[in-house]
Amino acid sequence: MPVFQVIINSIIRASELSLIAIGLTLVYDLLKFANFAHTEYAVVGVYLALVFNVNLGLNIFTSVLLSAIFTGLIALSIDRMVFRRMRDSGRVILMVTSFGLGLAMRNTIRAIWGPTPRSYTIALQKPISFLGIRITPVQIWIIATAVIFMVAFHLLLHKTKLGKAMRASSDNPALAQASGIATEGVILWVWFIATSFAAVGGILIALETYLLPHMGFAIIIPVFCATILGGIGNPYGAMLGALALGFAENFGLYLNFGNIINLGGLFDFVKEMHIPTGYRDAISFGILIAILLTKPSGILGRKS
Amino acid sequence: MIQYLAYLSIMTGIYGILSLSLNLQYGFTGLANFGHVAFFCLGAYTSTILVVLVKGPFILGLLGGMVAAGLFGFLISIPTANLKEDYWAIATLAAAEIVRLFFLNEDWIFGRGPYHGGAFGIGGIPRPLQSWFSATTYPFFYLCIVILCLVLTYFTVRFLTNSPFGRVLKAMREGDDLPLAMGKDVSKFRMKAMAFGGAMGGLAGSLVAHFWSFIDPYQFMPIETFVVWAMVVVGGKGNNIGALVGAVIIQFFYSSTLFLKDFIPIDAQVLASLRMVVIGVLIVLIMLFMKEGLIKEKKRIYQG
Amino acid sequence: MLKVIDVHKSFVGIKALDGVSLEVERGSITGLIGPNGSGKTTLFNVISGFLPKEAGEIYLKGERIDELPPNEVAGKGLCRTFQISQAPEKMTVLENMLLAPKDQMGEGLWNAFFRKKRIMHQERHNLEKALYLLSSVELIDLSNEYAGNLSGGQKKLLALGRILMADPEIILLDEPTAGVNPTLNKSLMRLIEDLRKGGKTFFFVEHNMKVISDICDKVYVLDFGRKIAEGTPGEIQQNEEVLEAYLSGSSREWSRKVGIDT
Ligand SMILES: Nc1ncnc2c1ncn2[C@@H]1O[C@H](COP(=O)(O)OP(=O)(O)OP(=O)(O)O)[C@@H](O)[C@H]1O
Ligand SMILES: [Mg+2]
Repeated sequence: MPVFQVIINSIIRASELSLIAIGLTLVYDLLKFANFAHTEYAVVGVYLALVFNVNLGLNIFTSVLLSAIFTGLIALSIDRMVFRRMRDSGRVILMVTSFGLGLAMRNTIRAIWGPTPRSYTIALQKPISFLGIRITPVQIWIIATAVIFMVAFHLLLHKTKLGKAMRASSDNPALAQASGIATEGVILWVWFIATSFAAVGGILIALETYLLPHMGFAIIIPVFCATILGGIGNPYGAMLGALALGFAENFGLYLNFGNIINLGGLFDFVKEMHIPTGYRDAISFGILIAILLTKPSGILGRKS
Repeated sequence: MIQYLAYLSIMTGIYGILSLSLNLQYGFTGLANFGHVAFFCLGAYTSTILVVLVKGPFILGLLGGMVAAGLFGFLISIPTANLKEDYWAIATLAAAEIVRLFFLNEDWIFGRGPYHGGAFGIGGIPRPLQSWFSATTYPFFYLCIVILCLVLTYFTVRFLTNSPFGRVLKAMREGDDLPLAMGKDVSKFRMKAMAFGGAMGGLAGSLVAHFWSFIDPYQFMPIETFVVWAMVVVGGKGNNIGALVGAVIIQFFYSSTLFLKDFIPIDAQVLASLRMVVIGVLIVLIMLFMKEGLIKEKKRIYQG
Repeated sequence: MLKVIDVHKSFVGIKALDGVSLEVERGSITGLIGPNGSGKTTLFNVISGFLPKEAGEIYLKGERIDELPPNEVAGKGLCRTFQISQAPEKMTVLENMLLAPKDQMGEGLWNAFFRKKRIMHQERHNLEKALYLLSSVELIDLSNEYAGNLSGGQKKLLALGRILMADPEIILLDEPTAGVNPTLNKSLMRLIEDLRKGGKTFFFVEHNMKVISDICDKVYVLDFGRKIAEGTPGEIQQNEEVLEAYLSGSSREWSRKVGIDT
């Protein structure tokens, strides 16, 4: 596989993960708990888009937008029923609650749509080839969508009153409240943004592969990895973390570590040494553990 | 039917041991271990290796499984001192997945013979004293072994949690500062709780391997960890009887599909999903309305 | 007994301890006062090993302790209480007391299983001691109450009782009288004096000048992380600089509350 292809694949993976990771980091920072149900919101979005796209026959763009909005609204109602009553519970309690919630969400989806893979109705994908790279139109859309959402997020954070309130609340909730920012309101907005971004991220994955009820649980550690790598509470860190992870996963399998051990041909200790494909997932698990052991605040650190 | 009851009791007993061991770690010591299934997995695989490959007796398998899982517990307890509880929880989840991926990918361990290993799993794991019993009576014999192990585990844990050792664990549950100020070496206590609890989880693992006489990596998915968590939080954390009651309740839901499918005209797939929805919702409800679980922690009264 | 030499500690933007040196004599009751935020608790945290210092040396009985983790400092005979009481909520008052003694055999896994007799003996002994101490801090009626249900003042009493169970040579108390009612306060002070006669050393933070002048042999005053005065309670109350620090302290406390770093 040409190296450009590996780069493209890394970027695609990063695009998908980053939108989900941004949401996780926002909620983690504001509500101070690791939301194990976060990636399940992505799956809710994925299947809602299926309803809009396949059952109601809407085109994929409209479906994505509607599904993002509905996922956000579902998150708000779940917050009202569950998390709002637990604002001052401990981290572990909230984590376990979110896990129970995630379990319920994942299996509700499985009960409704069954465990078999499904896909959206989109035009047949003819790969475009250049420089020895093959990329499908959908993959280009995936990258473009991620970039659009990231830019939109940046503008939201810095150009709107809501963004200012979000930043203030995550820096110092008590102070923000004292200075008249409606923290509860900010929390609702953060839930909405976090989960609708997750929905879009989930749909991007589903567009490239297919829809599966457990696709959310399958990416929970990679998403946590990207988030912690970038530093909890730092959305830009989450994007960077996703990028780093995307590259690590793809290049981890691509690189011949034998070359490195032989110092680029100087020695001949080993012939070929690749990370076996079966360990693809272990790359993110390993990075996650390594970053937690060495620099739990992440590469960018907590927000400056 | 009575066969099925024996099966259900054996599984409940095995999960009861897991639940007691997580209760020691989380309920008494406050360690949010999200990688509990790793003990189960290591116990099962180590025992299988010792009995199938090394041709050792069943008891060697049990002990070996306990030692391996105990060592793993010791290993993952090391970073607790420097990691926040939620970070550590995520790290343990990843660590457990790495253990599972190891057994999924390293199929050479079991060689080329009749035992496949890897994704195919290992079949034909000998059951202790199988030739002494008929196929119908064997489960009852095995049930006796499981009950014996469960009772031993229960009394050991009960004794420990009531001892001065357990007192320090309980003090650590609410933060390190006080025990440290009283001169207790908290990291040592944590290591012991993790290693000891780990060994108990390993025991459950070898019991399950020799009962099913077949294991594969898919039996040790992260979900198992959370099923055990459900047992502890539903039954009542910090109460050993509670942990057992939780094991009975959750195991009942977990296996209920097997007999419900004859009475309820729903597709077995859907029913299987719904039981997980029930467990998920149960966790959330307990966290919302009964944080202490069904059976509250018992107050320790000292007679003057 | 305890010697602190030129200790420095800073947090982001604040010098919490700026070259503090002091000495606590064996068998003395030494007070530590200073306006809010002057670094008293930080000094206790550094001495007891809870916070790393940036520079300086700390000696306990001639032995250097500033590189030791808190549990080892405690093992050397120096125990401290916390300004915000720490008491595991889900443990009874008695359990809290029994937690404290050093060298409990039953804390080892091996011993717990194989030396039951001797452990029972030790437990019985500790239990008697705990009940005796609980009556001296007037918590005996609450022995089997969860520590989480105690009032702030009662938690302070429990902290004192618990520390006596550990039987250290020197005791650091961070505002032991805060929230404790005045009559009980008096008997507390008497208890401390009695214990001093028995050979214990006390070093404590206190805001109540009456308490300070009643029982302290010597007082140190901190302000802005610096020692600004030392002497007998009488001398301290005459000291101009101390009065000044306390007067301006009130405005500083206000500025601290609204989040402006001073
Ligand atoms: N962990 C910390 N991180 C950052 N700043 C801290 C920390 N602990 C204390 N400080 C700051 O260091 C300074 C000294 O605090 P310290 O708690 O030692 O004061 P104190 O004399 O005990 O005050 P008080 O009488 O209110 O208890 C204060 O400005 C405080 O805000
Ligand atoms: Mg203080």
